[in-house]
Amino acid sequence: MNQNEQNFEDLKRLLKFKRHEAPPPGYFNNFSGQVISRIRAGEAGGSQTFIERLQRDAPWLANFLQVFETRPGLVGGLATSLCLLLVLAVVFADRPDTASKNLLSVSEPSAAAGSPVASMGEPALLPASDSSGIVASTNPVTSLQPTATLFGQAAASPLFQPAGFMPAGSR
Amino acid sequence: MIMPEPIATPDSNTPAGMLEADLVRKARKGDLAAYDELVKRYQQRIYATIYHMTANHEDANDLAQDSFIKAYQALKSFKGGSSFYTWLYRIAVNKTINFLKQRKNRHHFSLNDLDFQTENNPDLVALISDKTPLREVGLTELQKKLNEALLKLSEPHRMVVVLHDVQGQSHEEIAEIMDCNIGTVRSRLFYARQQLQGYLTEYAKPA
Repeated sequence: MNQNEQNFEDLKRLLKFKRHEAPPPGYFNNFSGQVISRIRAGEAGGSQTFIERLQRDAPWLANFLQVFETRPGLVGGLATSLCLLLVLAVVFADRPDTASKNLLSVSEPSAAAGSPVASMGEPALLPASDSSGIVASTNPVTSLQPTATLFGQAAASPLFQPAGFMPAGSR
Repeated sequence: MIMPEPIATPDSNTPAGMLEADLVRKARKGDLAAYDELVKRYQQRIYATIYHMTANHEDANDLAQDSFIKAYQALKSFKGGSSFYTWLYRIAVNKTINFLKQRKNRHHFSLNDLDFQTENNPDLVALISDKTPLREVGLTELQKKLNEALLKLSEPHRMVVVLHDVQGQSHEEIAEIMDCNIGTVRSRLFYARQQLQGYLTEYAKPA
């Protein structure tokens, strides 16, 4: 390190030159007075800006926001991604039941009747004219009711199902 | 018979005669006279550090004032782990580096005048010899070139050079102020000097 220090001897002498740069004469006579009067003004008016209060109360948040100040590109990127998210949300909000419609349309009544398990998972759609089922309606409560019993038999009432249970071996 | 003149000793009851710790304690309780004394004690060093970093008097004035105001507002959070002076310096350094990052690549010189002792400085006299081109270069131009070279350094490198080579602070003090270890300070200083020597080859030749 001593060798390095010697290498920089001229530079160090040159840098000491900067010590001779002095502010205008009398500058420091009034400096502390200005600081104190600014402090007094701040205390009297309580006129701290939002940013000043943020820096005092939540310095981490202020530092985070300063990152955006120094890199305006980040702000643009964030704004663009927020807009994209918003657009995507609006597009998907326009067709909320697309997925459920697809699910319902795939199932076949005959297949559902043949397999009890399948019929539980995918209730069969009956034609609107069938009196044993529920007519397709925009009424959210009734439209969600199952249109057939678990084993493919038509229910006596569309809203109520028989509570009876018969073991499989007893048929 | 000539009576000896009484020697003026600072009164420990006045802010000027108080220890730093007492002044800080009073200032924390809202005593602005005590804080005024603290400002007076450190205003020149804080201002000079910021000025050498920004090469702009107006910016240095604003930042120095803001640093003292911020320090006063944050006095309650000052736990005394380091000296008030180091803590204050840290505030000023962070404020200045943040300011310089925002002002990136928009350097506007507003250099202070050189004081009347400049031409009597033995170091400068030694530098200004027949062998160097400094004689042909006016001092003001040298001042400008020196500031331009410093502004080419990154903020942390410039800060280390300013604190060590211009302000005369020790590696340990700088490490504490910049919140890094001494090895980092040394390596930054070495790199910064190398860079500066490259920018100022005609004035500072390696030995």
